[in-house]
This record gives sequence, C-alpha cells and structure tokens, in this order.
Amino acid sequence: MRIGVFICHCGSNIAGTVDCARVASLAAGYPDVVYATYPMYTCAEPGQAAIEQAIHEHRLDGVVVASCSPRMHEPTFRKTVERAGLNPYMFEMANIREHVSWIGRDIEANTHKAAELVLLAVEKLRRNRPLYSREFPVTRRVLIIGGGVAGIQAALDCAEGGIPVVLVEREATIGGKMAKLDKTFPTVDCSACILGPKMVDVAQHPLITLYAHAEVEEISGYVGNFSVKIRKRATYVDWSKCTGCGTCMEKCPSKKATDRFNEGIATTTAITIAFPQAIPKKAVIAKDFCRQLSGKKCGVCAKVCPTGAIDYDMQDTFVTENVGSIVAATGYDLMDWTVYGQYGHGRYPDVISSLAYERLMNASGPTEGHILRPSDGREPKSIVFVQCVGSRDPSLNRPYCSGFCCMYTAKQAILTKDHIPDSQSYVFYMDIRAPGKMYDEFTRRAQEEYGTQYIRGRVSQIFPNGKGQLTVMGMDTLLGKPVEITADLVVLAVGIEASRGARELAEKLRISYDAYGFFMESHVKLKPVETNTAGVFLAGVCQGAKDIPASVAQGSAAAAKVLTLFARDCLASNPQIAHVDNKRCVGCGKCVRCCPFGAISTCTVRGEEKAEVIETMCQGCGLCTATCPQGAIQLAHATDDQILAEVDALCQI
Amino acid sequence: MPDIAKTERRIVGFLCNWCSYGGADTAGVARANQPTDLRIIRVPCSGRVNPLFVVRALLHGADGVLVSGCHPRDCHYSTGNFYARRRLELLKHFLPILGIDPARFAYTWVSASEGQRWQHVVTRFTEEIHALEPAPHFEELEPLYLSQRQSTEPKRPFMPQPPDLLAKLKEEIRTHLPELDCVLGWQKGRDALHAVPFFLRQEEDLERLSLDATCHNSLVRYLPEYKGKKVGIIVRGCESRALVELLQEGLIAREDLHIFAIPCHGLLDVARLEEELGRYQHLENLVIEQDSLRITVDGKERSFSPQAFLRSTCLGCASDEPVLADTCLGSFTAGESTPVTAPELALLDGLNLTERLRFWRGVMDRCIRCYSCRNSCPMCVCHDHCIAESRQPHWQSAEHSVTEKFFFQIIHALHLAGRCTGCGECQTNCPVGIPIFALRAHLNRVIAELFSGYQAGRDAQAVPPLLSYMVDEANIQEREWQ
Repeated sequence: MRIGVFICHCGSNIAGTVDCARVASLAAGYPDVVYATYPMYTCAEPGQAAIEQAIHEHRLDGVVVASCSPRMHEPTFRKTVERAGLNPYMFEMANIREHVSWIGRDIEANTHKAAELVLLAVEKLRRNRPLYSREFPVTRRVLIIGGGVAGIQAALDCAEGGIPVVLVEREATIGGKMAKLDKTFPTVDCSACILGPKMVDVAQHPLITLYAHAEVEEISGYVGNFSVKIRKRATYVDWSKCTGCGTCMEKCPSKKATDRFNEGIATTTAITIAFPQAIPKKAVIAKDFCRQLSGKKCGVCAKVCPTGAIDYDMQDTFVTENVGSIVAATGYDLMDWTVYGQYGHGRYPDVISSLAYERLMNASGPTEGHILRPSDGREPKSIVFVQCVGSRDPSLNRPYCSGFCCMYTAKQAILTKDHIPDSQSYVFYMDIRAPGKMYDEFTRRAQEEYGTQYIRGRVSQIFPNGKGQLTVMGMDTLLGKPVEITADLVVLAVGIEASRGARELAEKLRISYDAYGFFMESHVKLKPVETNTAGVFLAGVCQGAKDIPASVAQGSAAAAKVLTLFARDCLASNPQIAHVDNKRCVGCGKCVRCCPFGAISTCTVRGEEKAEVIETMCQGCGLCTATCPQGAIQLAHATDDQILAEVDALCQI
Repeated sequence: MPDIAKTERRIVGFLCNWCSYGGADTAGVARANQPTDLRIIRVPCSGRVNPLFVVRALLHGADGVLVSGCHPRDCHYSTGNFYARRRLELLKHFLPILGIDPARFAYTWVSASEGQRWQHVVTRFTEEIHALEPAPHFEELEPLYLSQRQSTEPKRPFMPQPPDLLAKLKEEIRTHLPELDCVLGWQKGRDALHAVPFFLRQEEDLERLSLDATCHNSLVRYLPEYKGKKVGIIVRGCESRALVELLQEGLIAREDLHIFAIPCHGLLDVARLEEELGRYQHLENLVIEQDSLRITVDGKERSFSPQAFLRSTCLGCASDEPVLADTCLGSFTAGESTPVTAPELALLDGLNLTERLRFWRGVMDRCIRCYSCRNSCPMCVCHDHCIAESRQPHWQSAEHSVTEKFFFQIIHALHLAGRCTGCGECQTNCPVGIPIFALRAHLNRVIAELFSGYQAGRDAQAVPPLLSYMVDEANIQEREWQ
C-alpha cells in the first residue's frame, strides 16, 4: 500500500503547540507511508488540491489527514480523495486539534501524542478496504403519527408535495391540544378559527388517509421500506355510515361519561362527538359508560341513528400500510398535578389546570365560553394563576421548563379581564420566559394594560377559607414578604410530560428517548428533526417543549426532510455495515438476539443455519461484531483487525 | 513507534463516535486543559468494544484503559451501551482473577455536550493511573509456582454407580436404537482409566458400552455435528445443563434428541490420578468402590481414596437431577446446587494481584497450545472456526509467547461468560495440568452476583445475561466521578 500523510497546521491552531514538521518526518517512517507533508490549511481549497495532486503524483492508494475532528471534516476529505479517484473509505483522520493541540500546551508531549495518533490512523488505514454503497428503491409514502398541529402541518406539506400520507391519530378527532385552546398568544387569534381550516384540509386532501381512533401496533422494515401495522380501535359506530348529525348524543341516556376533550370539567354522553369542528366528525361510544356495552338493556342510539351506523359488536381491526418514512408527532400530556399536596391534591373543584381553563373560556366548551366556577357556577372575580406546576421542579424529577406556560398564562389573564371586566388576576411566577417575537410585549400588556398583578414567588399552600373561596398563601421574593390572596378560582400552569405511550412507541420506532420520555433528535443543534433511525423524523412537542409556531415549523421541517428523502427514486445504503462470513458462522444466533435494529436474520446456506445482515436495516453499531465469538460477523470499517491494529500500535509487546 | 515520553503513562481510550468522542471534541473546542497520556480509539458505539480489546491492551503494556459511551438511554444505536455496560462491568470483575488491577480499567458515559465532564474524567483517570505503579510486563514477571491442591470435602459423598445401571441402560438403548441414527456413550480407551467417547449405531455395539466414574468426556460437545439426525445421548445432571445451553443457542433441536439420564455421585479426576500413578506400562486392574480406589499398574496395586480424587467440579454438586430427560435410569438426588469455590479458584483467591499475575505467568508457560481445553469444551461451538487459529480476524498470533497463551485462556473464558455450565472438561483434558477452570469458575461466580443468580443451563428459554440488558441494572453500581 502507498499511503500519504498530511499533517495540518490549521494556522496556529495546531502548529502553535504541535511540531507538525516533526510529526510529518516521524510519519514518513511508518509502515507503507510513502509521502508525508505538513500543509498550512488542509481543508482549504489549495490544501485539498494538494492532496489530489499528491495522490496522482505519488500514486497513493490511501490518505491520512491529521487535523481537526473527523466529526468535522471527514466527509470533506472523503470527497477530496474520491475526486482523485480513490475510494472514499481509503481515508483516515487523526484528530490532533481537539484531542491534542487545544488541550495542552506542552509541545514535546503534544508532538509525541500527535505522532502516535497518526500511527494509529496509518495502522487502521492499512487494513481499510474500499466500500461501496448500494441502491435500493423507496416507497414514496409517509406515515405521520399524531394529528396535532405539528402532525397536521407535516401531513399537509407532504401531501402538497405530492407524497401520499397515512395519518394516525389516537383520539377520535385530530387537532390535538391546539383544538382545545380558546385563543392563541400573542395575537389572541381564535385557535379553532386558525386550526379548523387546516383540519378540514386534512380531511379533504386526496392524498391523505386518516386513521383516527387508531394506534400504531407494530413497525418493521427500514428507511424507504417500512411496514406499519395499525390498530383501528373499535368505535362501535360504522363511520362509513355516520354523518355526524349528533342525534345519538341528544338521546343517549348515559350522561356521566368523562369528557376527556373538556379536560374533565364537565361530563358527556357515552356516545359522543368530541367537539363541533371534530375531524372526522363521527360518533364514538365510550365502552365503559355505554349501558348496552356494559351488559344492560339500552340500545337507544341504535334506534335513533338515522343511518343505522351503530354496531355494538364491533371489534378492533388491523390494517397494514407500507411507507418509506415516518414522522413522529405525538405531542405531550399534562403531568398529573394532583401529586402536589400544597395545591390540594385535586380535591378543590376550583383549583383547575390551565387546559381546563381554556375549555371554560372556549365558546365550544361546556359553559359556552362563560368563565364560571366548577364548584357553584358563579363568575369568579379574583383569579390566581400559579406557574411552573410540575415544571423546573427537580424534586419531582422534572427539571425542564415547559416553555409555553408563561405565555399562555399572560394570555389567560388578558382574556379573563376581557370576559369579566371587574375581575382581578394574580400570577405567581418564577421567571417570565418570553423570548419569542412579540412575546415580551405581550406579557407586559397583561401587566400594564390589563392590570394583572405579577408576583415573583411560589405558592406554598392553597386551602378553602370556609366562605366558598380559596386562600392562596405564597411568597413575594422581590419584596421578601409572604402574601396571602383570597381567590375565587386558581388556575395551575401545569407542566408537560411526554405523551402517554411515548416510550413504547420509541421502542417500536427504534429511536432514543431521554430520561423524561421525549424523543431524541439526532443532533441537538444540527439535526433537530432527524432521529438516529434513518427515515424517522420528529415534529412538535414529542421532541421537547415548544409552542405552536415552533411545532408548525418543525412539522414543515419534518415534511421537508421527507420530501428530500423521496426526491430520489433510490436511496444509497451506508456501506459501513456488518457482513457475515458464511464460512465462519455457526448459526448460534447471538448476533440476532442482541442487534438493536433487528437487522440480522437467519438463512439456510447448504442446509446450515447462518446469520444474514439486512443491509438497509443495519446501522453500523458493531454490537454483533463484539458479540460473535468466531469473529464471523465483521463491521466494515471497524473490523476486529482494524481495532486490534490500533490497540497494538499503542501497546506493543 | 516513537518512544513514550518519560513522564507519561500508556492510557488507551475507546470512545463511541456519537457521544464521548464528541464530548472530547467539545472539551477541545473549549480549550479544556487535559493530561496528554490518553490515546483515543474511535469506535461507532461502546457496544462495539469487545472486552477482549481491553484485556489485550492491558496485557500488552497499557497502564490504563478507559471506555466511554453515550449515557444509558441516549445511545445513538438505542441499546448498544446497555449491552456494553453489562459486558464491561463483568470485565471489571474479571480482571482481578487474572492479576490485573481493576483500577486500570474504567468505563463511563459522556455525552457530546459534556466537554467539562470529559475533562474531569480524563484528568481523574489519568491521575489514578499515575498513582499506580507502571503496569507490570507480563513476560518479564518472575513466575510463582504453587501447589495447586487444597482438599475440600464434597457436598455429596462419592459412590460408585449401582452395579445394575449399565445393564438397565443397555436395555433402554436397545429399545430405542431402531428409531435413532446414533447413540453417544463411552467405551474403554487404551486402559480402564481412560474412557473415550463411543458412537453406537447398531445393537452389537452395546457390548462395548462402558460406564463408570472415569467416563468424563462431555458427549454434548459432539451434538451440534449431528444436527438434523436423530441422536440418543447419555447425560448426567451437569451434562444436561450443557445440553440446555446448546438448545438455547439453537444448535441442536430437542425433538431430534433422546436423552438417557443417569444418576451420578461424582467423577474421578483422571488427570490427577495419572499424575499420582506416574509413568506406567500396563494398567491391569481398576476397582472403584465407595471407600477405595484400587489400581493395579505394572503388577503393583495401589490404593487411593476416591473422595480425594473427585473432580473439583463435582465437589459442590448437590443434585444430579437432569434438567431434561426422556428416559431416566435410577434415582436422582434433588437439591439446590450451591457451588463451593473450586480448589483452584480458592488458591487464587488467597493471592494478591501481583501474585496472581505471577502465578499465571508460571503456569501458562507450560501451555503447548494443543487446544485440548477448547476441543473438549461442550460450549465451544465454533469448532473449526475458533478465532485462535483464524488469520482474519487475527486475534492470536502464532508466536510462542506466554502472553499469547494466556490471552487465549482469557478469550476462552470470556467467550464462555454466561454460557459455561462448569463441567471442568477444559481443565481435565489439559495435558499439562494448568488450572484454567479457575477462570471459568470465577466468571460463573461473578455472573451469578451481577445478574441475580443467573446460572447457565437451567432453562432453555432463558436469555443469557450478556445478550440482554435492563435499563436500570439492579446490581451494577456505576462509578461516580466526583
């Protein structure tokens, strides 16, 4: 082999603390090295041109660049050597900047270390083999999991881009949390008025298939070729016949069903349509509350339904959809705030969550938009908002900020004054976090125009004062004094948590999630939409707290990623994957058991069981290589021989 | 290789590309000053780090090895580091029996954003390595020679097999032979002390079937080669566990087997008896009784106590009940086998780290690389594909060095981790009497400690501990880097 070594100065970044010329002269003596030099800036155009020239002049068949981190410039140099006719994998990098020159000022030790890192790279390169990507066809369809605003946006953008969309929503209607809101900050637009048309677009778009009241059961396959099994949960109403007329709701005798859409501040009928703008506008029977389905005699809805849509014998059904890409947009749930004893464990009816308060203010809510106390239906005059309930609270293992509570609390305070002009609102806050466009102005408006009293401090206790009101005890940390407010209604800005079932879904998608169940993006700064599973993208709060515009933006970003992925007919596979040496494999199945991606199956070769890597599913972690006792399965570009050579280069006998 | 700077120690780091390598980059970008000793090898995932890479480095002169990956739950490959955690923790507990200071090895988690943490980990680890003596040079150590025996009372007293057992066994085999391609048993070898495996195919073969306390070779070892054929096999309790392991790995099919289970009250350590007898021309007679073992060699009768010549693996055995059986012959003793520490392991337990390494330096020098240990092991399923002789991957060089010999024993032991059923065949068949069973016995002990008492060969449906993980490991205390 003929190897060329380039020791980059990186201006003074490396040359300041590493004797590059000496490293190059040492490297010239390493095995198979025929050329070693020390350019000023290797990644700059002249530097790259020099590599290409050296490849031609010295007939190099491998190149080592010692410079910055391979996480930075490995792709750059791979392209460089490729332009000169080498296989891009006949290239290795030694990181002598981040790992050497920047972390110590001892030139002697640094030079010595740099030289050894170059030796490491040379020894690895000597065992590199050319690798080639393969092409495989793509199914141009996308699955979007979650029909909140992020999922809706992703679905519409993909569909507008000509990609058929399968949208799966767990609830009976799409719209997510945004559909429950009354107004949105900072413009105080009607939430339903801006979301509604998008929901209708989803329903009407010819390229969107919507499965509401459905969940993803199983996912198999890989980027470009996923197969998804969807469970359509029984609704007991044949949606192909249901017209959404609502007659059944009027007549249903079981009126004590939990109204999940209204956040439990009212009850509803056992057969119900979540809200007037629901998409799809179809009835669903809540099994636990239905008399007929609980074994009692009823059948009223079946009698009154003008289209005969009621089907008490309905069972869950399954459909399988083939898609090439998946967008997870599963949103969030509110944490269970009743764990807080100081807020009454949920025993006081007039202490409610902010989302419940949205339903109280909403014209489509149970009070038709009149703010009335849940306990006695009176109009509250003194309202206390408590922020950071279950956010930024390490004691409950919720150290994160839920992001949008400061803003909606300001909005709710403003709207409260609009609804009840003689009311007074108080907000207990830790910090006001209003970094968005027009946000800080908005919180100031709440204080200055609407007279909301902002008190910096935490609430220590809420208890009924015996006169039908609540005493809110707190601390004003700016004044350093305890405060006590008599409130008619307390609204808790409850923190968010990952959606129920998010972890299980992540396991099915084979994507990572953080300690709180939020899905992990591929890179916190540079790949905020991608996941580490190729072809799976994220949109909305499932990845971390964000408000509506950010969720919409991420929905569009995810759609852009899907469209980019589908811009080509074929995808190129990553060649750094595991390969089985059939001669060595004994078919013991250890690799099959531990592969995190299910990318290893077994096949029969001349009557013997052998492992087989599914090239498009293998992500190249190398767990199998570390597991196989025979060394029969080797990860290309990180083979046992390559790592052993590196170890031996450092620890020679 | 350039000479290492005098003030440095040799420290090797294995860093996963996605988190820790990025974390080290982040530390660099922040100009976080660090000791220069560490050399980083970039791997895709901490799960890629074969513990043997670490041993290789330590055995070949590294003063310290550090493995760092993504934090649990944050693995780029979703679960790679969970597997890594189990394997590396096991390694940490394995190193001391080799005589390698476990303080020379650490594993941890550093994310790509944790530059500061990386700086702290490197600085702390380097300081710790500097606080130790430089790693001893294995080849140059002064060997420590010790007598390897300590007497231990067996859990169940030795008994010769019931006189009618062989006849009953023959009768059963005769009945089932027509439906089987082959039955695996034993026959007499070159003399009465040396039984050899026997492959019965027809009724006439039954004449030659032999069965006594010298029949030790594990027949299970031959089963994978018979996959797809109907095979009968004679097993004792311990051997049935090896069978379970092969079933677990899918290398044999239960429906193709007919298991003849026999009771067992201990096997004789033939290797030690041979040693005791010394060189002889003819073994004329062998009588095995409960209290005496009489062997006539070259016209001279010698008597031994069979209790003292039991195989060390039999000492802790409390039950000879087979895990699986189709035909049970005789009566079995039930009971929970609480393993006693094998004498060769007890010997090592009593030594300090340096003494252990010197001990291995001494005994491993005798190794002739015949691979009898491997060839007799029922769990060495790689057979012709063992990495000891492979050139791709090239784990072992052909060099006749004590390091290479020792490294093979370490490879063998770690490949058996979570699979070894403790039959001791490796040691029994070693022609030069190296007490290598100690390594396996120690690993089995550690595995039981770390993974809720897991014992290989108890359940064909169980998932072996190194091929599974728990998000929160009950018995793994990860080190803090305060």
